[in-house]
Amino acid sequence: MNSASLPLLEVTNLRVSFDSHAGLVGAVQNVSFSIPRGRTLALVGESGSGKSVTASALLRIVPPPGRIVGGRIVLRTRRDGDIDIAQLDEKSGLLYRVRGGLVSMIFQDPMSALSPVHTVGSQVAEAILVHQDVSPAAARRLTTEMLAKVGIANAAARYNQFPHELSGGLRQRVIIAMALVCQPELLIADEPTTALDVTTQAQILGLIKNLQRELGCAVLLITHDFGVVAQMADEVAVMHRGEIVERGSVRAVLKTPQHAHTRALLDALPSRRVRVA
Amino acid sequence: MKPAGSVLSVRGLTKHFPIAGRGIRRRTAEVVRAVEDVSFELAAGETFGLVGESGCGKTTLARCLLRALTPTSGAIIFRLPDGRTVDLARLADRELKPLRPHAQMVFQDPFSSLNPRMTVRDIVGEPLVIHRLARGAELDDRVRDQLGRVGLDPALRGRYPHAFSGGQRQRIAIARALIMRPSLLVCDEATSALDVSVQAQVLDLLKELQRELHLTYLFVAHNLDVVRNFCDRVAVMRQGRIIELAPAAQIFDAPQHAYTRLLLSAMPSPDPDVLMNFNAGDDLAKLDSATA
Ligand SMILES: Nc1ncnc2c1ncn2[C@@H]1O[C@H](COP(=O)(O)OP(=O)(O)OP(=O)(O)O)[C@@H](O)[C@H]1O
Ligand SMILES: Nc1ncnc2c1ncn2[C@@H]1O[C@H](COP(=O)(O)OP(=O)(O)OP(=O)(O)O)[C@@H](O)[C@H]1O
Ligand SMILES: [Mg+2]
Ligand SMILES: [Mg+2]
Repeated sequence: MNSASLPLLEVTNLRVSFDSHAGLVGAVQNVSFSIPRGRTLALVGESGSGKSVTASALLRIVPPPGRIVGGRIVLRTRRDGDIDIAQLDEKSGLLYRVRGGLVSMIFQDPMSALSPVHTVGSQVAEAILVHQDVSPAAARRLTTEMLAKVGIANAAARYNQFPHELSGGLRQRVIIAMALVCQPELLIADEPTTALDVTTQAQILGLIKNLQRELGCAVLLITHDFGVVAQMADEVAVMHRGEIVERGSVRAVLKTPQHAHTRALLDALPSRRVRVA
Repeated sequence: MKPAGSVLSVRGLTKHFPIAGRGIRRRTAEVVRAVEDVSFELAAGETFGLVGESGCGKTTLARCLLRALTPTSGAIIFRLPDGRTVDLARLADRELKPLRPHAQMVFQDPFSSLNPRMTVRDIVGEPLVIHRLARGAELDDRVRDQLGRVGLDPALRGRYPHAFSGGQRQRIAIARALIMRPSLLVCDEATSALDVSVQAQVLDLLKELQRELHLTYLFVAHNLDVVRNFCDRVAVMRQGRIIELAPAAQIFDAPQHAYTRLLLSAMPSPDPDVLMNFNAGDDLAKLDSATA
């Protein structure tokens, strides 16, 4: 096999533990999955099952006292060749490249990801200036283009607004602009639409789909909404207590779930429950 | 006028918020029309859903009904357990206090809505203390009984909220709201922050309590799948007004209003073969310019 047919991301036996007074707690245990270029993998599972900790491991930002205690996280990049993110030295330039553009992340709460005291445009431009060798004027132009691309009307004027002056949906678009402006190879989206109403959610999901097609990046989508999974993902991995208990195509997992835990999750969906009225 | 069995009858309810204008218009009285001429009835024992986009006025309407806000105009006729009716919109704070136990509210965020410095016993028992309805051993008995009812171990009542999961905290909030034996419970996005399994448990609990205590629910949510399966009737709000009101099955299977259809088309179906409308936002803008 040549490297073009290998998946962009290949995670093998990833283990993350938290040191606590009760000893070492395994939050992620022997997790393996892969995502081909241009594809979307949804990571689902109940609260506390280890989805966000898995995502944070991919960027090496596991909150202390947590740490990666085993496994490989291989990213096959176009620009820098194969990288095992799990093995990178904390001070290595490659880890800096991983965090600064090869892999980007959209967090659940758009307010906490934006600084309240800087204009939204300057925050996107800053992300460009830190990681690309361009002039401030070029960064400003790229930012305005990106804001327009994520569907913000009148982008040049929006550039100068502060986060609190924007609605939740517009703020989430700014976050997406910031995440995509460095053309990442992998986009991690942790509950990107949970705080939004259905019409805004539809816009943001459509936006992620379109930009993914245009930029060709892979997406790791974390959500507990099976509707979002069904509409967005190619493959699904179901987590339960730090382990992946089932993995497969979105149709296979949603229509013919094999694992008892997946069935339990699907049975909890309001549309599948017997009406009690 | 009012059909027998209705707990609440809302007539022409309106709530405007004044906003300070900028610059030369500083003195002009601009307002946000958060709720505009809303009328509906809540039948005893029903679950009434309220849906609509962010900012359409759901929370403002709910807060007016509980008189956490004073409406700009309109009537809120509430039937007390003894059969008397009062217009909540016209009462002053002093007159409202004895009525407050009858209508209670549960909020979205189980983390910020509980005081982190109070034990579960104090949180759940506080309404009884405020209204001087119980103290000492009787207070403790009622708190224990209430915790048992919502499926929490009463032995944990000395703990603080941070020791509980999201689902458990929402149970604590429900216990607190129900300890005054209200007839009306308003749930504002009460299960939105919970994962599907915990959400299912909390919804089951609410249904069970409703049968047991003959409660009427006003259920505000943006998850339409939950509303469809949990509510008897549903009102769709848009820009402060109710634009469609019908039994849940009718709203979801035969929506009359173009806006309702748009809202439903944006719902991500858990069936991968039923494609959602990713362009709902743009379609909405078109609808706006067509009606403007
Ligand atoms: N700072 C921490 N200290 C100790 N343990 C932690 C910490 N953060 C996470 N954990 C552990 O890791 C597990 C997985 O947490 P994680 O945040 O990944 O869950 P999740 O699947 O993202 O849940 P949710 O759907 O609620 O976001 C938790 O059950 C918890 O035991
Ligand atoms: N105290 C206030 N002062 C001024 N405007 C307000 C106030 N509270 C609400 N509003 C405005 O009233 C409108 C309705 O807000 P409301 O919170 O009722 O919406 P909602 O339907 O509950 O939205 P969401 O789904 O986001 O919770 C919004 O335009 C909001 O900005
Ligand atoms: Mg998480
Ligand atoms: Mg609200």
